[in-house]
Amino acid sequence: MNWKFAVMALAAAAFAAQAPQKIIPYPYAQEDLPNGLRVVTVSTDFPNIVAVYIVVQTGSRNEVEAGHTGFAHLFEHLMFRGTQKFPADKYNDTLQRIGASSNAFTTDDFTCFYTVFSKEDLPAVMEMEADRFQNLKYSEPEFKTEALAVLGEYNKDASSPFSKLEETLRDTAFSASTYKHTTMGFLKDVQNMPNQYDYSLKFFGRYYRPEYTTILVSGDVRSKAVRQLVDKYWSGWKHGSYKPEIPSEPPQDGPRSAHVDWPGPTLPILTIAFKSPAYSDANRESAALDALAFLAFSPTSELYQKLVVREQKADALFGGAEDHVDPWLFQITARVKKPEDMDYVRGEILAAVKAFQEKPVDAAGLENVKKHLRYSAALRMNSSDAIASSLAGYVALRRTPETMNRLYEQYAQLTPDDVLKAAAKYLVENSRTIVTLTAGGGK
Amino acid sequence: MKIAALLLLGAALASAQMRVMAKPGKSPLVTFRIVFTTGAATDPPGKPGVAYLTARMLADGGTRDMTYRQIVDALFPMAASVNAQVDKEMSTFYGATHVDNLPDYYKLLRAMLLDPGWRADDFARVKDEAVNSIRVGLRSNDEELGKEVLYQNIYQGTPYGQYDGGAVDTLESITLDDVKSFYHTQYSQSHLILGIAGGYPPTFVEAMKKDFRSLPEGAGFHPRQQQPKLIQKTRAVIVEKDTRSVAFSLGFPIYVTRRSADYTAMLLAASYLGQHRMSTGVLYQQMREKRGLNYGDYDYIEYFPRGMFFMEPEPNLARHEQIFQIWIRPVEPANARFALRLALYELDKLIKDGIPEDAFERTRDFLSKYVNVLTRTRSAELGYAIDNLYYDRADYVETVKADLAKLTREQVNAAIHRHLRTDRLVIVAVSRDGEALKQQLAGGDPSPMTYNSPKPAALMEEDKTVEKWPLNLSPDNITVVPADKVFQ
Repeated sequence: MNWKFAVMALAAAAFAAQAPQKIIPYPYAQEDLPNGLRVVTVSTDFPNIVAVYIVVQTGSRNEVEAGHTGFAHLFEHLMFRGTQKFPADKYNDTLQRIGASSNAFTTDDFTCFYTVFSKEDLPAVMEMEADRFQNLKYSEPEFKTEALAVLGEYNKDASSPFSKLEETLRDTAFSASTYKHTTMGFLKDVQNMPNQYDYSLKFFGRYYRPEYTTILVSGDVRSKAVRQLVDKYWSGWKHGSYKPEIPSEPPQDGPRSAHVDWPGPTLPILTIAFKSPAYSDANRESAALDALAFLAFSPTSELYQKLVVREQKADALFGGAEDHVDPWLFQITARVKKPEDMDYVRGEILAAVKAFQEKPVDAAGLENVKKHLRYSAALRMNSSDAIASSLAGYVALRRTPETMNRLYEQYAQLTPDDVLKAAAKYLVENSRTIVTLTAGGGK
Repeated sequence: MKIAALLLLGAALASAQMRVMAKPGKSPLVTFRIVFTTGAATDPPGKPGVAYLTARMLADGGTRDMTYRQIVDALFPMAASVNAQVDKEMSTFYGATHVDNLPDYYKLLRAMLLDPGWRADDFARVKDEAVNSIRVGLRSNDEELGKEVLYQNIYQGTPYGQYDGGAVDTLESITLDDVKSFYHTQYSQSHLILGIAGGYPPTFVEAMKKDFRSLPEGAGFHPRQQQPKLIQKTRAVIVEKDTRSVAFSLGFPIYVTRRSADYTAMLLAASYLGQHRMSTGVLYQQMREKRGLNYGDYDYIEYFPRGMFFMEPEPNLARHEQIFQIWIRPVEPANARFALRLALYELDKLIKDGIPEDAFERTRDFLSKYVNVLTRTRSAELGYAIDNLYYDRADYVETVKADLAKLTREQVNAAIHRHLRTDRLVIVAVSRDGEALKQQLAGGDPSPMTYNSPKPAALMEEDKTVEKWPLNLSPDNITVVPADKVFQ
């Protein structure tokens, strides 16, 4: 077809515009303030819109004291309770007037606050954000009310069997690691939150500090303008002194298992998890496990085609290990159509794991995974907001967007032998936890 | 004679012609949205789910030349996919590719939509998925379940009266022939809107049109429309299941769509009362921020499924009939009745007092900028443009902005009076112990709140009115239905 040439020419132009090898399609500027605050600016060519993502390297991982799980997430909420200068009403009114889209989320490793708006409103947003990070003020009654909204959030998630499965898996697989609890926290701690006002002040004083925080700005903006605003509004923020002692998980001494009786109707769910290493881009282990997830458990894998497409024993199968600061889990989950097939599906998954530990993956298949990873990043980063959102998780891991470039460089160099070694090293019986969930007790 | 024949031919073509929405740009990505203006409202009588299964067979099945596995394998290195969305009046296929892979991606997309394989094993898998997405998907999501039961109840007996994804028993009875027949009669050029955006080459659209001319011409677009029956008296449905908390959805039909003169006024009113997933709405402030009742409370004038996953509505859910809806996220059972009363109290206040002047201006300013956010991705921009075609209206973002600039507070308050009400509602609750909740809702006794912290005197005073707010329900108009019976 004659248009194919035009397409190729256009594609060449598109790729020529970006630095070769780097997965992030735009250059970025990274600077540190004397107080330890870091600022990253990505100047994109999408017009008008600016996204500000503020990444605090504090997630449920940082909740080291018993009885106080869920506090990182609670602060995601409390940060909207206002300051003396911008009480919650005024903060909301201002964001509403500028038509900003604003929200926040919390993970195991970080909390992220984001605002997306028109470029002319950058000074207003920077002033308000700086103010709430430095001068957050909430009364005890306000605190008690917000804690109830958190319980409401727990409640809305509780109707999914996958939430219960996740809680049980973590609780079974981990003993010392703070990944033992979900980001939401243990239910009893969430229910007790309203009584923890004083502890909340302590938590804020520890973690809402410049050395834990990176301001990530992406969009129709230049780094100089961003830096000027950051100097103006954020340079008075005081460096903190707290360093949490986050317990290390001892090596697992044998396989574990647990079962959940789900009170309502559900299909049986099976999850098989193995301890996986902390994220690293200094070697190829994290990259290799990501590739393994695609090769062994994605819709293009032989196991998926067998269980989901040909035999139709399961209606969902997925697997992989999300990037985490500390050792985490490589998790394979299947939703099985009939309870009597649970053992069969479990056997098939374990057999597939074994096969990947013994036989190197097909080189052409691995090249397809590399292509998939690059195109999927290119397709995802299709707006200033999406770029900041893609980078936030990498900034949380190593405090720099370069993390993403490094990981993708590791992907590019992966060999079948890397995948084999990672599978053999980590997907082992001694570090395995299996959790099953079936319709059972209750009404 | 010759001229007359040409004119006739012209008229015939006009009714059978596909429509195209092309938005060329410099992006290295190419986005597709291919919409057939047919969907669940056209399901054959007694067979809800045929439109849904048809779309799923195309998106999740093989073509005549390729098995599903071969398609999955071919799409994988491109990191691309072909997705389907089915609503009452639209079946949409969407996806995106890097321009590097455009020829290969389009070849697959074309074959999937124009040359489906209709394999029995694909059909068995797709059908199982559809059944499970009701049995264990929808029924395990209390909030989405409540919303869909609300729509089903309001539209019972009309072409909108079934869940888009069908019902368990009928899905099981649908045959591959039903699906093929739906495809051959409904997937016609006259139902087709081809949407494409991004860095595709200039000749691409013509080539695509040529390919899609292989579809039958069809007889023009005739939406199956029927207004819902009048709600004579407020009624409630309690969907009973073992769950921690109580989720509510409530509403009634409104005769406002994007074609209506009152659309923008009602958009502003709905934004003021409860802009989706934002902390600015009255409901959110009164229910969550001041009283800690739950995680959030919002209201809508257009169908907005999967609201717990999306910050902005997905496009291509255009409908000729809409309802006004309030979404109360799960509340602790002890506070359920109070929460429901508070939502109705706030709705009543809006109708009686209208929007305060300062809030009117603030909401107008917000929406004037926020509408830009709705089309911030290529795919959304394309989707909105297709919806504009369907509703036969000018550019959504620009006209909403222009309307907002002219709108007065009085006009909004008058529109609120015309379209909103607090009686003749349908209320859906998803809850455990349905009989107990039924008795509570039917009883007119007060449901006072207790708080875990001191509240301002004004709020406590207001609560005295809220706790007695009439729900106008009696045991006769409250139905309790087990969760495993809905959409069965």
